[in-house]
Amino acid sequence: MQSSTNEVIQPLPGAQASPVGWFELAKLHRASLASLVVLVFPLVMPFTALAANILIYGLFALGFNLVYGYLGLLSFGHAALFGTGAYFCGIAIVHLGLPWYAGIGLGVVGGLLMAAVIGVLAIRTRGIYFAMVTMALSQCAYYLFYEAVDWTGGENGLRGINIHQISVFGLKLDFINPLTRYYVIAAFVIAAFFVLSRILASPFGAVIEAVRENEARARASGYDVTTTRLITFVLSGGFCGLAGALQALHLSIVPIEILHYDTSGIVVMIALLGGMGTFFGPMIGAAAFLMLENIVSTWTVHWQLIVGAVFMICVLFFPAGIWGTLIKRIKP
Amino acid sequence: MTRRITTSGSISRRRLLATAGAGAALAASPFRINLLQAQEANIKIGFPVPLTGPYGAEAQDQVRAAQLAIAQFNDGGGLNGRKAELVVRDDKLNAGEAATRSLELVEQEKVNFVVGSLSAAVQLAINNVTKERGIIFNSISQSDAINEAKDFSKYTFHEALNPHMTAGAVGRYAFPKFGKKVAFLTADYAYGTEMLRGFLEAGKAFNIENLGDVRHPIGATDFSTLLPRLQSLKPDILCICNFGRDQQIALKQATDFGIKKTTQIIAPLLSHASRVAAGPQAFDGVIGGCSFYWGLEDKFASTKAFNAAFSKMYDGKLPTDYGALGYGGVRTVLEAVKTAGSVDTDKVIVALEALKYDDYKGPQYYRKCDHQSVQSVLVIKSKSKDMKNESDVFEIIGTEEPNEANLRSCEELGHKA
Repeated sequence: MQSSTNEVIQPLPGAQASPVGWFELAKLHRASLASLVVLVFPLVMPFTALAANILIYGLFALGFNLVYGYLGLLSFGHAALFGTGAYFCGIAIVHLGLPWYAGIGLGVVGGLLMAAVIGVLAIRTRGIYFAMVTMALSQCAYYLFYEAVDWTGGENGLRGINIHQISVFGLKLDFINPLTRYYVIAAFVIAAFFVLSRILASPFGAVIEAVRENEARARASGYDVTTTRLITFVLSGGFCGLAGALQALHLSIVPIEILHYDTSGIVVMIALLGGMGTFFGPMIGAAAFLMLENIVSTWTVHWQLIVGAVFMICVLFFPAGIWGTLIKRIKP
Repeated sequence: MTRRITTSGSISRRRLLATAGAGAALAASPFRINLLQAQEANIKIGFPVPLTGPYGAEAQDQVRAAQLAIAQFNDGGGLNGRKAELVVRDDKLNAGEAATRSLELVEQEKVNFVVGSLSAAVQLAINNVTKERGIIFNSISQSDAINEAKDFSKYTFHEALNPHMTAGAVGRYAFPKFGKKVAFLTADYAYGTEMLRGFLEAGKAFNIENLGDVRHPIGATDFSTLLPRLQSLKPDILCICNFGRDQQIALKQATDFGIKKTTQIIAPLLSHASRVAAGPQAFDGVIGGCSFYWGLEDKFASTKAFNAAFSKMYDGKLPTDYGALGYGGVRTVLEAVKTAGSVDTDKVIVALEALKYDDYKGPQYYRKCDHQSVQSVLVIKSKSKDMKNESDVFEIIGTEEPNEANLRSCEELGHKA
C-alpha cells in the first residue's frame, strides 16, 4: 500500500527539485505559527486588555470565517452566537455559582445550541436571504435576552462575573493580573486554532470547500449539502460561543450590545479586512480593526472619519483583505 | 523519498520558527517603551465618557468642567506639590468598550481614581471593573441600580442624582399643582422605567390616578400614533420619561398635536443641551428636574464662583447640568485626597464619607450606606422669552432641599444597617 502511494506521488512534476517549499510547510504548521504569534502579541500591543479583546474578536471572526470564507454563506446573525456564549458563561458563574471552566463549557454549548436553532431555520436559504433570515433570528435572540431581566440584567447588562483566582491543575493563577488573564484566554484560543485547523484539513473540511466551490457538483458526488452546511454552521457556533465566554470572563460583564446587529456587522468587517477564507486572516483583521479604533480614538474625537478612510483604502487596494493579499504576494 | 522530505522539512521548520521568533522580538522592541514607562508622580484620574455618539455634546462639557477642577487643584498647590492629571477616554456609549477602557485605565495608565460615565449600563460596567480592582469610582450619571447592594462596593460613589430622586422631586412638585390624572409616555429601557417607577412611588402620597403608560423603543422618530392615544385619556399631566433626542422629538410632536393646551407636560430630567438643540418652542412651558442650573448663582456663592471660573477658562461660556457633574465628581475626589493627605484608597474613602461639601450647587454629602450624594434637586421650567443670554433657557421654579427621606432607604436597597 505504502509503495503504491509513493509511485503515485513520484511522477508529480517539480516534486524532486524542491520536495517541500517553505510556504507549504508554513501552511502545514499554520496552527503552531498562529499560536506563536498569539504568545508574543501582548508585548507589541499598547495595552493588554486590547490584546485580549483582539484575541477574542479574532476567535469570533475565525468561527464566522468558517461559515463565510470556507462555506461561502454570509451570515448577518453571528452576534447571536457570540452573545449567547457570553451570556451562558456569565449566567453559569453569576446565577448558578459554577466554576469558571464550567462557564466556558456552557458558553460553547450555548453557541452550539443557538447555532443549531438558527441553522435549522435558516440553512435552506441562500445569499441575501440567508443574511436576512440570520439577522432576523439574531434580533429575536437580542430581545429574548433583553427581556429576561432577572437572568441577564436586561438593559443594564449582566454584572458580577468576578473571577479573582483560577486554579489549573493545582496551580493558582491570579486572574486579575492582565498578563495572566491574557495567557489563560490565549490558551483557549490556541486550542481553537488546532481544532479548526484539524477540521479544515479533514475530509469534511474538503467537503465544506467543495460545497462553496460548486454546490451541484458536490451534491452529484454524493455529499449531503444541507447537512454539511448545518454542521458547519453549528461548529462555527461553537467557536463563537467560546469567544463569547472568554469575552465575559475578560470584561467581567456582558453588555446587551454584544447581541446587537452592530456586532454582527463588525465581525463581517473584520473577516473582510483580514481576508476571508484564510486561516489567520480573521486575527489580522481583528488586530487591524480594534487597534485602529482604539488608538485613533485616543487622539481625536473624530476617529470615525480616519477609521472610515482607512477602511475605504483597504477595500480599494486590498480586495482580498490584508492577510489574503499578503499571502497572494509571497506565495512562491 | 519519504525520509528525505521529513529531514529537509524539519530543518526548514526550525529555521522558520527561529526567523519568526526573531522577527517578533524585533517588532516588539520599539513598542516595549510603553511597558517600561516610569511611574508618573501625577495623581491620575481616569475619565471615560461617551465623546462620540448621541451624548457627545454633554460628554465634552463634562470633560471641560472636569479639566477646570483639575486646574483649580493644581493651582492650589496640588497634594503637597503633587499635581493631578485627567486621563480622558471615549467609551462610545458602549458598556463593553467602557469595560475595556476601564481595564486600560487601571492596568496600563495606573490611574488612582476613575470618575465618569454617561449611561446607566456604562457606569455599572465601569463600576464592576473598578470595584474588583479596589479603585474608587465616582459615577456622574443617573442610575438607581448603582445604589443597590448588589452593585455597590465601598469603592463606589455616586455624585449624580438618581432617577428615584429626580422623578420624585418633579412629581412632588407637579402632582399637587396640576391634577391627579397622570398619563405616561416612557422609553422602553432602564432609564425610562426607573424614572416611571420614581414618579409612581412619589405619586402614592398624592393618590394620583395612573391613566396609562405607553411605551416606545429608544431612538423613536415618530410619536404620531402614540400621542392621540395619550390625548384621548384626557390626563391633567402627561409625563414623558425619555432622554436626549427622543425627548426632543416627543416634545416637538406633542406641541404640534396641541397637547400643551389641555395638559401640563412634565419630564423627569430636562437636559440643557437638549433644550438648546431643540429650541425654545418645543420645550416651552415644560417642567422637569435637573441637578444643576447656572441660574443658582443668585442663591449660592459656590455656584457664582464655579460659573465665573468656568466662563473665564472657556471664553464666557456657562456650565451646563452635565458639565457641572463632571466638575463635582472630580473635585470631591481631589478634595478628599487633600483631606486624607494621600492617594491611599482606604484613606480617601474615609475622607469622602466624611466630606460635607458645597462646591457648585449648595450643600452636599455622601450617604454612608450607598455613597449616594445627598443633594438638592431643582425643578425647572423651560422658557421661551425674556432670555438674558444664550444659556438662559430655564427658570428655577422649585427646589427640593437635600434630604435622605427622598432617597430609597438603605434597607430597601439591601444594605445592612
